Amino acid sequence: MATIEGSWYRSGRLRRGSVAAAFVLAQLVAVAAAYRAGRPTLYAFFLVFSTAATAYAVEHDGGTLLALVRFLVVQAVALGVAVLVERGVALATTGRVEVGFQLWALLLVGFAVPGLLYVLRRTGTWSAGAVGVVGVALLSATGAFVVGGGFEIFLPLWGVGYAVLGAVAVAYTLRGSLFTVATATLGSVLMVALGLPLALFVARQAPSVVVEKALDPNVHRMLYLGIYGPLLAALLSLVCGIPLAHLLERGFTGQALVESLVDLPLVVPHSVAGIIILFGFGRGGAFPSVPVLGTVVGMVLAMTFVSAPYAVNATREAFEAIDDRLAYASRIHGANRWQTFRRVTAPLAVRGIVTGGVLAWARAVSEFGAVAVVAYTVEFFYPLAGESVRAQHAPVFVYNTYLQGGLTESGAVAFLLLGVSAFIFLVVRWLTGDTGGVLG
Amino acid sequence: MTLEADIAATFSADGAEPFVVDAAFEVERGETLTILGPSGSGKTLLLESVAGFHSHDGRVTLDGRPVSDRPPEKRDFGFVFQDYALFPHATVSENVAFGQRYLGSSWWERARELAAGDDRRSRLRALVRDDGRSRRERLRHLARLQREGPDAPDPAQLLEEFGIDDLAERYPPTLSGGERQRVALARALAVEPEVLLLDEPLSSLDVPTRQSLRQDLQDVLADVTAVYVTHNRTTARALSDRIVVMNDGRVVQSGSPEAVFERPASPMVARFTGANCIRLADVPGLRDRLDVSAEYVAIRPEAVGLVDDGDLRGTVERVVREDATSRVTVDAGEARIEALTGSPPAVGADVALQFPRDRLHPVS
Repeated sequence: MATIEGSWYRSGRLRRGSVAAAFVLAQLVAVAAAYRAGRPTLYAFFLVFSTAATAYAVEHDGGTLLALVRFLVVQAVALGVAVLVERGVALATTGRVEVGFQLWALLLVGFAVPGLLYVLRRTGTWSAGAVGVVGVALLSATGAFVVGGGFEIFLPLWGVGYAVLGAVAVAYTLRGSLFTVATATLGSVLMVALGLPLALFVARQAPSVVVEKALDPNVHRMLYLGIYGPLLAALLSLVCGIPLAHLLERGFTGQALVESLVDLPLVVPHSVAGIIILFGFGRGGAFPSVPVLGTVVGMVLAMTFVSAPYAVNATREAFEAIDDRLAYASRIHGANRWQTFRRVTAPLAVRGIVTGGVLAWARAVSEFGAVAVVAYTVEFFYPLAGESVRAQHAPVFVYNTYLQGGLTESGAVAFLLLGVSAFIFLVVRWLTGDTGGVLG
Repeated sequence: MTLEADIAATFSADGAEPFVVDAAFEVERGETLTILGPSGSGKTLLLESVAGFHSHDGRVTLDGRPVSDRPPEKRDFGFVFQDYALFPHATVSENVAFGQRYLGSSWWERARELAAGDDRRSRLRALVRDDGRSRRERLRHLARLQREGPDAPDPAQLLEEFGIDDLAERYPPTLSGGERQRVALARALAVEPEVLLLDEPLSSLDVPTRQSLRQDLQDVLADVTAVYVTHNRTTARALSDRIVVMNDGRVVQSGSPEAVFERPASPMVARFTGANCIRLADVPGLRDRLDVSAEYVAIRPEAVGLVDDGDLRGTVERVVREDATSRVTVDAGEARIEALTGSPPAVGADVALQFPRDRLHPVS
């Protein structure tokens, strides 16, 4: 937060939105970190510095470093008083809630607001001060609950409130219109709903259980299967999906029917998809000699069924975004259809193709219903052990662990799965970041 | 190289009436033919059909060989698109060299080497020498050499000729409009096309760039057989050997620039080429004075004389200064007549218009 530069939010509302978003995210991390450490002062620290950094960002637009110093001084004094109060109250054994409220109300009314207003009056930067006022007010209120013993119950809630109001204040302060403020507020609520459970999920993991699970061979098998199976499904979706997407982009008779069929898995409940797979490819189905129940083949088929629409649609959109004239230019200067696809269309659509593959892969990793029906337990060759083993697809495994071992154990497994998935996702994004010069 | 095209094609878009293009033209070797027409007249669709981008009925022949049953890559055309359609993921030099790999591997080098040889025998020897290329490639190469001689352009040299050699490693999105246009032209010429097809290559440029590039184009078009689509009559007049005027998917007139501009076949052609088209019924007495029996009479503004005593009197309605001359609009009753003059009268002045009889063209 401390490295916010004045220039990157100057150019428009989107930039303002990203300041607000970064602010909310930082707050969420702070809530989680403070919760994890059991140290409310940590949160107070963070709050002070983030407010100062925001104020700096706002003020830097007008070119005054002095504003940062002003805010830091005000906030540091507030922080000092906060720490003192916290220590003091910790010594007291009775009447904590009341003491906390009274002290902080006193601090807020008697010191922070008048002090801040004085500084603002002197410098005339009213709009920049809004962040400071809201920050100090919320710091006070949060502190009151914290020292009042309400930490366990109230801090996350206050974190939510602070994150949303902070985003509103930032949007307003960055000279946003009412519309910007409204969109930032509503957007922040959604971000909190998405981000807070995740942040608390990460914060509340017990390290010992995570380590224990990370060393469990069953978990290793689950992770291997949970990456390898979806990878096969994503590859299958792409290998057959790219040509289909290419055809759909060019258009043909009966296209509407094919499109509906491609999108069908999106609306079919996933357990139903599993049943459909069993009818289609199971005993008495299309390939009697290929067993699908409880095999990798069945698992990959189920995953492909639910993930192919993502691969096809993302790829098709990428093809549609390419100007027809580029393909014409390629053809008229000598390249046939395949050469045009290889040298022009596919390189230009590669981002969409990779996005489609990643989406299909992610969808397959998260598939529960269809896989649980078709291949609840899968027998497969596990290279690390050099033999065939039995394991469950990751979501099935997590569900099983939850039923048998409860929230703590399943949480640790889910944490590991989340970490590995996020890592792979980031690696793929990084690898496809540079797509220039692919011609040839 | 003579290109003959006789195309009939129907284009339909959702919710719109089907648009029919039914047009024919031919271009002689070395000639530049311009297809001139207003927006939506089907000229681009016609050109793209000739190139093979759209399915169509009718025939396209090159020197009598039908090519209309071939895919675009086998038709031996070069194409410069309106928005240039440069490959954004390839550098300028990769763009220009794009088509050459399909002529055989690095064949321009081989061709230069052959060109240095004394006679046909040494050329053939060079061809059959085992240089790592497949037999099929060498035979294709030979066929091509026999057809048109070993002087395919080197892409690097093309870049230099067009003054864009310093852009060789840049990517098209970083180029200006004029630079893109040169790259597109170099890419089309690099495959040594039998016929160069150009679709309004100047229309998205600003005026000074357009003027300088028009001169460059004039040099290029002097050496090649080309079909040039435009809605700009100035460009058409400057670049063409012959003009085909299109409207509503059909050819309404074709002929030399002089014929089209001086002797328009219909009031629409007259208006589109910037000629005055006077409906004689609107101007009482003019028909007898000019001794014309047609319904309309067309005359170029530069031929109309502003005199003291002429064929028709009117009031100056507007004067617009152009580079060296002024465009004077004269209100003569129901008719508005334009004239170009170096010494324009004042607005509101009463003037007489003189129509030289040899420049008058009756239009019915």
